[in-house]
Amino acid sequence: MKGSGVRWALLLPPGLVLLVLFVVPVLMMVVTSFRPDLRGGPFAWGWEPTIEHYQSVIQGGDFLPLLWTSARVALLVSFLACALAYPVAYYLAFRLGRSTALLLTLLIIPFWTSYLLRMIAWKIILGSNGALNSFLSFLGLTDTSAPVLLYSRSAVVVTLIYVWLPFVALPIYAGLLRIDRSLLEAAADLGASRFQAFRKVTLPLSLPGVIAAFVMVFIPTVGEYVAPILVGGTRGALYGNIIEILFGDGINWPLGSALAMLMLVGVFALIVIAARVLRVGRLIEAVER
Amino acid sequence: MISRFRVLPAYYVFLVVLLYLPLMVLLLFSFNDGTALSFPLRGFTSDWYEGMLANGQLLGAARNSAVVGIGVSTVATVLGTLAAIALVRYKFPGKTLFLMVAVTPLLVPFLILGVALLILFSALDVDRSLLTVGAAHVVVAIPYTVLIVASRLVGFDRNLEEAAYDLGASFPYFLRRVLVPLIAPAMLAAWLVAFTVSFDEFVLASFTIGREPTLPVFIFGQVRFANRFPQVVALASVVMILSLGLVLLAQRLQSAWTRR
Amino acid sequence: MKETGRLSLLALLMLLAVACGGQATTTTTAAVEPDELTVLEWAFYEVPEMWVEFGEANPDTDVVFNFGASDADIYAKILAGSGEDIMHFYTPYLQFYVDEGLIQPIDTTRLTNWSKVPTGFQESCTIDGVVYCIPWDWGFSSVLYRTDQIDAVDSWSALFDEANAGHVSMWDDGPGAVAIGAYVLGADEASITDEQLEEIKQMWIDQKDINLFYWVDEAELEAGFTSGDVWAAYAWNGAYYRLLSAGVPVAYADPAEGRNSWVGQYAISADTDSYNLALEFLDGKLGEQTATHLLVDYAYGHVVPEYFSVVEDENLVTALSLDDPGILDRTNFTVPISQEQHGSYVEMWAEVKAAG
Repeated sequence: MKGSGVRWALLLPPGLVLLVLFVVPVLMMVVTSFRPDLRGGPFAWGWEPTIEHYQSVIQGGDFLPLLWTSARVALLVSFLACALAYPVAYYLAFRLGRSTALLLTLLIIPFWTSYLLRMIAWKIILGSNGALNSFLSFLGLTDTSAPVLLYSRSAVVVTLIYVWLPFVALPIYAGLLRIDRSLLEAAADLGASRFQAFRKVTLPLSLPGVIAAFVMVFIPTVGEYVAPILVGGTRGALYGNIIEILFGDGINWPLGSALAMLMLVGVFALIVIAARVLRVGRLIEAVER
Repeated sequence: MISRFRVLPAYYVFLVVLLYLPLMVLLLFSFNDGTALSFPLRGFTSDWYEGMLANGQLLGAARNSAVVGIGVSTVATVLGTLAAIALVRYKFPGKTLFLMVAVTPLLVPFLILGVALLILFSALDVDRSLLTVGAAHVVVAIPYTVLIVASRLVGFDRNLEEAAYDLGASFPYFLRRVLVPLIAPAMLAAWLVAFTVSFDEFVLASFTIGREPTLPVFIFGQVRFANRFPQVVALASVVMILSLGLVLLAQRLQSAWTRR
Repeated sequence: MKETGRLSLLALLMLLAVACGGQATTTTTAAVEPDELTVLEWAFYEVPEMWVEFGEANPDTDVVFNFGASDADIYAKILAGSGEDIMHFYTPYLQFYVDEGLIQPIDTTRLTNWSKVPTGFQESCTIDGVVYCIPWDWGFSSVLYRTDQIDAVDSWSALFDEANAGHVSMWDDGPGAVAIGAYVLGADEASITDEQLEEIKQMWIDQKDINLFYWVDEAELEAGFTSGDVWAAYAWNGAYYRLLSAGVPVAYADPAEGRNSWVGQYAISADTDSYNLALEFLDGKLGEQTATHLLVDYAYGHVVPEYFSVVEDENLVTALSLDDPGILDRTNFTVPISQEQHGSYVEMWAEVKAAG
């Protein structure tokens, strides 16, 4: 009945897709990171494997600190995005009414417009002659000689939070959905205030969703490079930009792949350590009970 | 207590306003009689919309993105749901590894993945087309769908499941009639995210695309040129209005349906 | 309800299959060339006006354009095997394509327009006596500046001038930055020593204090000038022309060190099945109608001087310096560099970006 047959039926389709279209290409790039250079093209054989790229990054001292900075930026963005999205998810999950799907989709629709176009419009709003600056200078808070909230690392953080908020609301929403309403009723019957019920029942039970949301934002944001280019200005570059410059403009696939591998390993290490420290596994089990 | 409840809807509305602000700006400029995206506005024109409607390439690219997006989100949601069910409810060797692999597409820069896929496709002599773009997008959408559906599944009440089996249900029946309906909202959320990931994705598409462009790839080519740009802005506004219209329509249909 | 769900899924997949179907290219025997040409191009050049002669002579030929976002992007795609018949890149990259055997020699005897191309431009496509490409478009790089904010600029060092702090924008490109650094230092662009590279790197790290943002495409740069955020920038003449036409008070410097210039080139893939068609396409690029559109629609120079008379727009004449016959002698054409040099320049730039 519930034999291993079911397990294979579940695992094989996603597993196969991931294997062919993801694991294989990534392994190709891992192999490339040990090549001295790209002479001979991607299919060349007979080159001597080397760890010089890893060595140059680790011992170089220019790029690894930026990885740490990018991780910190990602942590900040993820934390704030989840915190700011939680009320929205809560509202949608607990509201009575038929139009929840509509409200959910309303959040997402802006993202079906080109990111590029929205950023251009966003820059207009934030730019020197834009609405924000005009408003602030009207209030006498700034002179219009420089764009506020643009061309800086803070601009990158704000922009990323802005971009991720609706996405982050969705897994939190999904996590909140599964909370049994009867538990909340029971809490109320036992004399708990709404806030207490929230703190003791809803919040802990919603953690799997929040964790999923956090992971969903954190991981790609470490490697983010588009926002720094668009709004980061001169000093907004992050680790992802370095990869893009070296792998892309420099067509240095070995070095670029090495940088990406280091990022991969670093982030996974971070997550494993954090999971251990926060005892996430036990948390989820407790929640399940 | 009442005031607290008004805060939440107000917060939601505030967020929605903030999200739609750039779109409103774009809408404004789509009627502007000038090609630069800067104030002051110069006068009203519907030229850009006319031009856009006549621009077969632009509309074709939009259609391509929609088709790919729907395909990708459907496939990714199905695959993600299967994986989520396996991960949350079953023990099997290599579970952590599988989870890691399922989530890692978030971590590999698309530039690198794009080049690697291009090398792979050319090595296997696979013609690049919208199908290859779809394949690439499915891969990077899976982490989202897995995470979203899994967070709904965690702590799924086993009692429900056992009750179903006690009543004589088979596993497929249980799946269809109990499990899937319960996680349907999460699947919808996953579907929406996957669609969004695919519809506006540029980097992977640029490496895996064949003769037919997707919208982001097409837009990239138009954005830099003043005389082409406003048509793109007009299209963006149309996409927004169309999606809003579609969603409202779906909402109406759904309430009409359930009322029967 | 579930049945309709499954049916619609099936329908969707079929729709997807149909939409993507029919994409397969036809393979042919060696004797007959396929009636199709693929080109890896920069955005905008796919419009029929940019290949008028070929389009008119071959109305039944299907010309398919794929896009690259930059020289590096185009090179990476070709290297990874994207397989287009023709590619369009700019001067420094020719060497890379030749080194990796990605392109084949051009039979210039079959190009009807080759003789119209000045020797200097012809030589930019020649390596060891073999012609590997045709030159097509060219333009200048110089300092673009707002005349209402800055006095006349006569040197590249304006990009490093403290007086312009917070209003400078440099192009986001390592090799470009090295070239400018070489001009300011007085070094030879073609042979930069390691010490000089270190010096240039430090110059650009210091320059970060006065730089507002690095621009990636001209639209971004033009918006910066229009809004008044940017007073001085590394720019190509296309931006100059468009800003002039929009009435923004700008001027284009004629620096003491000389302007920089670049040449765009078309080459034919080493593995193409359509050599003859490709040759015809290249020949058409040197034709008058195409040249006219390039000059007038896009404000870039075309390599054949006899077509310049079509330019009537005064702003365009100014932008291309067509009224200044000696300008090309004072201009530094981008030199070919090896892949190692290119790599080290890009690495320098990454280090500049990463530096606090």
